[in-house]
Amino acid sequence: MAVDNMKTNKVVALNALEKRRFRTPWQEAWGRLIRNKAAVLGVVLIVSFLFIAVFANVLAPHNPLQLNSGKDFLPPSWIETSASGKHGDPEFILGTDTLGRDVLSRVVYGSRVSMMVGFAPTLIIMLVGTFVGLMAGYYGGRWDNFLMRLTDVMYGFPDLLFFIIALISLRDTWLGQFMNGLFLLFFALAIINWVGVARIVRGQALSLKQKEFVEAARSIGVKDSQIMLRHLLPNALGPIIVQGSFLIPGMIITEAVLGYLGLGLKPTTNPDAFFITSWGSLMLDGQTSINAQPYLLLAPAICVALVVLSFTFLGDGLRDALDPRMRGRA
Amino acid sequence: MRKIFALLSLLIVASMALAACGGAPSATQAPTDQPAQPAATTAPEQPAATEAPAYHGTLRVNVGTFPDIMDPQKSSFVNEIAVLQMVYEGLTRLNGDLETVPAAAESWKYNGDATELVFTLRKGLTYSDGSMLNAARYEYSLHRNIDPATAGEYASITNDIAGAADWNSCTENCDDKKAVVMETVKASHADGAACTGYDDAACDTLTLKFTQPAPYFHTVASLWVTYPAKQELIEAGGEDWWLDSDNHVGNGPFVMTNLEQGVNVHFAPNEVYWAGVPSYDLDYSFITDGAVAFEAYKNNELDINGLAAEDLATVQADPVLSKEANIYPGSCSFAMMYHQLKAPFNDPKVREAFSYALDRDAWVTDVLKGLGSSTLTWIPKGFPGYKDGETRWGYDPAKAVQTLTDAGYKVEGGKLIGPDGKAIEITDTFSDTPRNRTRNEWLVAKWKEVLGIDIKLDPVEATTYTALTKDINTAPQMYILGWCADYPDPQNWLSVYWKTGAFGQRIGYSNPDLDALLTQADGELDPAKRADLYQQAQDMLVAGAPVSFMWNNVNTYMVKPWVTNLNKTPMDFGWIGSMDPLSVTVSEPTK
Amino acid sequence: MSAYFIRRILWLFPVLFVVALITFSLMHAAPGGPWDRDLSSRQVDAGTQKVLNAYYGLDKPLWRQFTAYVFGDVSSTTDKFVCGLVCGNLGPSYRVRGSTVQDILFKPPKGKGFEYSRFGYSLRLGLISLVFAIVLGIPAGIFSALKQNSLIDYLSGFISSVGISIPSFVMAIFMIIIFATTLHWVSVVPKSWDEAKAWVLPAAVLGFGTLAFATRLTRASMLEVLRQDYIRTARAKGLHENIVVWRHMLRNALIPVVTILGPALAGLVTGSFIIETMFSFPGMGRAYVTAISQRDYSMILGTTLLYVLMVSLANLSVDFLYVIIDPRIRLEE
Repeated sequence: MAVDNMKTNKVVALNALEKRRFRTPWQEAWGRLIRNKAAVLGVVLIVSFLFIAVFANVLAPHNPLQLNSGKDFLPPSWIETSASGKHGDPEFILGTDTLGRDVLSRVVYGSRVSMMVGFAPTLIIMLVGTFVGLMAGYYGGRWDNFLMRLTDVMYGFPDLLFFIIALISLRDTWLGQFMNGLFLLFFALAIINWVGVARIVRGQALSLKQKEFVEAARSIGVKDSQIMLRHLLPNALGPIIVQGSFLIPGMIITEAVLGYLGLGLKPTTNPDAFFITSWGSLMLDGQTSINAQPYLLLAPAICVALVVLSFTFLGDGLRDALDPRMRGRA
Repeated sequence: MRKIFALLSLLIVASMALAACGGAPSATQAPTDQPAQPAATTAPEQPAATEAPAYHGTLRVNVGTFPDIMDPQKSSFVNEIAVLQMVYEGLTRLNGDLETVPAAAESWKYNGDATELVFTLRKGLTYSDGSMLNAARYEYSLHRNIDPATAGEYASITNDIAGAADWNSCTENCDDKKAVVMETVKASHADGAACTGYDDAACDTLTLKFTQPAPYFHTVASLWVTYPAKQELIEAGGEDWWLDSDNHVGNGPFVMTNLEQGVNVHFAPNEVYWAGVPSYDLDYSFITDGAVAFEAYKNNELDINGLAAEDLATVQADPVLSKEANIYPGSCSFAMMYHQLKAPFNDPKVREAFSYALDRDAWVTDVLKGLGSSTLTWIPKGFPGYKDGETRWGYDPAKAVQTLTDAGYKVEGGKLIGPDGKAIEITDTFSDTPRNRTRNEWLVAKWKEVLGIDIKLDPVEATTYTALTKDINTAPQMYILGWCADYPDPQNWLSVYWKTGAFGQRIGYSNPDLDALLTQADGELDPAKRADLYQQAQDMLVAGAPVSFMWNNVNTYMVKPWVTNLNKTPMDFGWIGSMDPLSVTVSEPTK
Repeated sequence: MSAYFIRRILWLFPVLFVVALITFSLMHAAPGGPWDRDLSSRQVDAGTQKVLNAYYGLDKPLWRQFTAYVFGDVSSTTDKFVCGLVCGNLGPSYRVRGSTVQDILFKPPKGKGFEYSRFGYSLRLGLISLVFAIVLGIPAGIFSALKQNSLIDYLSGFISSVGISIPSFVMAIFMIIIFATTLHWVSVVPKSWDEAKAWVLPAAVLGFGTLAFATRLTRASMLEVLRQDYIRTARAKGLHENIVVWRHMLRNALIPVVTILGPALAGLVTGSFIIETMFSFPGMGRAYVTAISQRDYSMILGTTLLYVLMVSLANLSVDFLYVIIDPRIRLEE
């Protein structure tokens, strides 16, 4: 038995060794990623949400702007009688909102704005924050001092005032109108939020740059940019990914609130518009009617939670897959 | 994380302000009368004294936001007045039928042309600490209200007093202007002899002189600006004297026994109140979130609490809660305002068409969930000056389209084309809250349905909205605005709002004929003639269709079954029955 | 090292000045002013507004208002010099008239200690929720990392994901419904904040975001450290697992966690609007947000500056902690 086992192990190891010769690091990373069940689940979910977002107009059972007088606050179709004494209607699977609009259709349309707003500003924030953090942490001294004092200022930056002013001064310009106001939103969110990422990356860089492998790299004359990209960044990836997965729901909720400052999605009466509503707006509507129609709050909240969960799983999987020390394992 | 929280918060502030004040479209607070029971004004002092001692309960009320200022001459918000009116009392007060009745003043008398008003105080009035309350105290309050050094936000309400407007707006060398007011607001003995001070028992007369006839001013004298807070306490306490409950020595039905900023205010009965002694303690909580307050109410931690439109259906479907809901008309009127100088609303025909196209009844049922009543006129039902049966510019989709066509307008591809062939863009501006979004989405969808016009929705931040709508130049093309009565007199509804240069100015409203009619009505002494003149004025206002009158709010309160004898009035400040706290009885709570 | 930290402390002044300048410009650029009230009943009329502006010096040119705020100016009503920010005077509140901003934030009610001021309340709640987040979050993160891809790991990932996706106003109302209305463990509106149990729900809701963040971040950086060669070495040479975890891993894994806890602390102790609204908590978080919507200028400046001061001090302490956690870190070069 024991011998057999040893043999098998050896064979497996040899096989792995053999295979590895024919694979690039990217292929390997991909291999590790698709073997991670949680990560695959995450990818599947994200792709389906993207699919729903793109084909919202086909998938939504109703016009999301259609008012249905007298059919307000209907509970989901499977609930016979709600707390407010209304009866479910099979036509409206998740019920209706305060004006009798179909909740399911609104959730489906909401995915468009929320997927965009969850990812686009987060990406900008991560890029800017990582860049600033690496520079500050690696070069230290004056750079560090300047950039970190800048982050101190940014932390205290009165963002609410900034948004209000941006709204007033830009609402009639092309910037305010572009993508129904969403572009300005990405921009504003990124300006305000890159600081947190920058500080984390800087903290990592401060610690990592004293490590032996970085000193070794420096002593053999590797360029600074290469050290930052090849040595510091991969080792700081974990916390960056965590930060990213936390930014996404934050952005989705912030969009809703900013919408109410007039700096996000403008309300529209045109059912052919691409961006009609967002999960954040639905949640805020849902909060006021929590007793009458809880699904107005629950449905978008579950969607946001699923997106975050998928991204968390995918992020963990990615980090493991890209980790150079994991090479040959899994 | 903080950033996101901060943003969320702003939104909630906005929606709270909306719920609490009823300025923008809201139907949560503000008063009106209806089934007014005769007030049991004299309190139950004697009953059941010998047998089991009468139950002395505590009435627990949620008032919403904690007051920013509790200074009678500086306060202006509903929640602030809800506190002040328990501790202090003015010269007059309002009863359940919105009539002005004697309070600290036993009687009052106008001179021939209503340019002078003389109050005579009750004999033997005292503060809750037993000290004397004479006319000099009220003289001080009025002087303090007008004094620019006080810079009170409601100071202009007493501008009918001769010299008041001058002194109040004075910034330098004000002594002459002050001297004028010292003469036009004057306390004296009944025979006209000068008062000697706050301990002069014979000082029972207060004389006010006006710049123009003001036969409604005895009603103004019921407002909180006349409340006689003590000069010595104000001066010793410094600018924030009102933060200390010990400084609130008043003459109202209650005594403030505890004030914890941001947390609660507690009152005990004033044992020496002239009209009687309340049979219960009063406790104000300040819960701003509607859902939390509703939970506290269900958990028997509150006896009186407001009810939000969204929860109405839930309450009505519940066999117990449905019996505890009180819904009665409020004191506010809301209208879709049109800017009279901006195209296309400078054309009265367009305003008429938009009015015809507005289904107010559907608005009340679909959007307000029944919490409100549709109206086609300005003064709400229950207020003096209300006109029953107004039908002009009521919902009529066919007429709406016809009016527009007759006036030479066309609608092409969702755009309104003027008689000159140019397209006119229309924007509906509103203060951005979740509620206002759904409300304006509904409105715009309905106008599109009837008139075929695409109206752009333009949400703006709440204070920006206030600033925009305040100025005639920046005021939007169309927006919803309301007015809540300061005091129940047609003068407050019509002259204070629609005279040239008054609040209607912001939408460019100016009608010389109406001005003349209102000036005549304001000075008219005969009540019947006066009422008639105001009726004519309101008719004239509605005839020009300057705005689309839309709805009146209702007051909605949940009240526990052990709280009874509530005397509902349209002018209730903060809670149901607050105008007449003496009549309220609180029995032992049942679980 | 001490020279470095002294320099950092001196840097606080320019940072505060810049923030004050930016905030001042932004708030005056925002439309509306302190007398533009929400549209309830009557608006302040033009005459009264003029009086009020003169009374508070808001009729002066902007640069003069700014220098008056920072350094001081002669009052137009009393003709006496009133010292500004440099003397610790944060100015008069335009909304809570009669009170200065420092009174509103720091003055306790009569006869009570500092911890009963608004800032005192927020400070106490913030510290409790931070302890809550650290005590639960860091061990949860360590455990998830050591047992990567186990059921516990997935569970903690699930809880933190759900936790951050649910806005705190929703979490607060659910907590109230469960623990107050249904189980009756606490009352919806606490009778007194001297009762310890009244603090549990607000602290839990306030700390939940930080807790979730701390958990995920600890886990992520522990996983990084786990794969380092020196850990393998430590294990290989037969060190006890506890020593490996505590002495070798945690020390290195804590850098990112400490980084976020600094500013998080500043955020927690300066109060949260949502928590204060939902739990009727008398802290200072509401002051900041309502001040902005009410354009209460000195309150906006005062709370912003206090927040920046807390953040800067927290970040300074974080840098100090870096050096303690990892003595090889050098901040100056």
